Amino acid sequence: MLPRNSEGRLPAVVRHLFPVFTGLPLGPLLTLSLRSLAGRQPRLFDLLGEHRTACYFIDPVDLAFAFTVVPDAERSIVRVVRKSEAATSSVQIRGPILTLLSLLDGTLDGDALFFSRIISISGRTEAVLALRNTIEDAELRPADLLGLRGALARLVDTGILGALDVARQMAARNSRRKAPEA
Amino acid sequence: MTSGRMELVCPAGTPATLRAAVQAGADAVYCGFRDETNARNFPGLNFSGEELAEGVRFAHDHGSKVLVAINTFARVNDVDLWKKAADTAAECGANAIIAADIAVLDHVAKNHKQVRLHLSVQAAAATPEAIGFYATNFGIRRVVLPRVLSVQEIAALNRAIDVETEAFVFGGLCVMIEGRCYLSSYATGKSPNLNGVCSPPEMVSYDDEPNSTAARLSGYTIDRYEPGEPVGYPTLCKGKFKAGGKTSYLFEDPVSLNAGGMIAGLKAAGVTALKIEGRQRGKGYVTEVVRAFRKAVDAVEQGGDAIEIDRILAGQSEGSRQTAGAYSKKWR
Ligand code: SF4
Repeated sequence: MLPRNSEGRLPAVVRHLFPVFTGLPLGPLLTLSLRSLAGRQPRLFDLLGEHRTACYFIDPVDLAFAFTVVPDAERSIVRVVRKSEAATSSVQIRGPILTLLSLLDGTLDGDALFFSRIISISGRTEAVLALRNTIEDAELRPADLLGLRGALARLVDTGILGALDVARQMAARNSRRKAPEA
Repeated sequence: MTSGRMELVCPAGTPATLRAAVQAGADAVYCGFRDETNARNFPGLNFSGEELAEGVRFAHDHGSKVLVAINTFARVNDVDLWKKAADTAAECGANAIIAADIAVLDHVAKNHKQVRLHLSVQAAAATPEAIGFYATNFGIRRVVLPRVLSVQEIAALNRAIDVETEAFVFGGLCVMIEGRCYLSSYATGKSPNLNGVCSPPEMVSYDDEPNSTAARLSGYTIDRYEPGEPVGYPTLCKGKFKAGGKTSYLFEDPVSLNAGGMIAGLKAAGVTALKIEGRQRGKGYVTEVVRAFRKAVDAVEQGGDAIEIDRILAGQSEGSRQTAGAYSKKWR
């Protein structure tokens, strides 16, 4: 099912910054951070049950690339992939990157976003539900994913969440301006 | 049964949501274990014994109660799973167990006298005689009312019984006589009353087709949506079906319950507790709904008028269609 509209998509200026990231080994970095999260919070991955071996295709519709994630605790794998690789995964989740990140930090209600078609899913619905419920309970902050603690963790959280907030506001303004075309 | 200050009973599908509900002002939180003893047995949801113990500690430290739903019906030869769940809930310090199965009620009544027993909505007890039976035999202290009664009927019922009543005020609406729905069992082989899942997610698919998206359950098309139209979860009773040459929402429109405007009426009818449905919902949603209902209930307790209550609850429509359900039914 395709996402509905341009709501909350990255403004062009921010989008243009993203190709810089594609030069980074994003997949291995995210794989490492997910595996180290599994070392620190194994319960989260237990909650996923049989779905931890599912392959989730995460497609930020406003970026040029997508991710596949197998959240199998210390055997987790994250890959940066082409959009055309969706077919090989068990589940596809699509939406604007800022919205997807808001689901991670729990600022937005996943159900409402799905029912209003701002994000879309296809494939094994129960695997999406398991992931959503697990993430909800995890109350993850950026520093958790990066494995940081103490003052540095607080600093990084404030910085990243603040930047996300600014980007979200820009995106909201952007989509309000574009609304009549949508 | 007359009531003092009404209690706000809120859903928690996960430990994080329990904390969110308590912090948003819940007087009591209800939750269940991660197995078939619980009528919200969805993947990634619910509590282990350890998580429940921690949740109870957190709730008690903040002045809230924890009610544990062990509210499905035990299977033949497998009652031990249900009894064990009740034992764990009691060990964790739960304030009450919400149950419907007579075997579970009997086990709690005999072995855990310090734990209150609440009769689950799944028992569908809606008459003084039925409720009296459970009160006499198992000492139930509260009955969760089936969502088929009008406010007048609830008032009459409360005059005839001496246990507390709890009424749903917000969230998803299950329209069948509670505990007696076979739609999900028929279509998916999984029953809300035995397996704890109605319309289980592993049988759900959203399929893109030319000009529409079909929401299917176990291969049956439950509804179809135009491009851009908000979609719904394919719950069988809220599906669009063809019968007698006409396509319509045959059983029930896809609406959810909002009886926020009836809080004062329910109080006058002698209801002790107001329940918000939604253990499958996220903590953002739970926080927002609990906060709004906390304010609304407090306003009613302080004699606030209907306009004020409407204003407090105005943001709680979620864009979906809502109904006051049977509370205001005119056909009786
Ligand atoms: S199909 Fe509808 S009436 Fe039946 S159990 Fe599910 S929600 Fe309730």
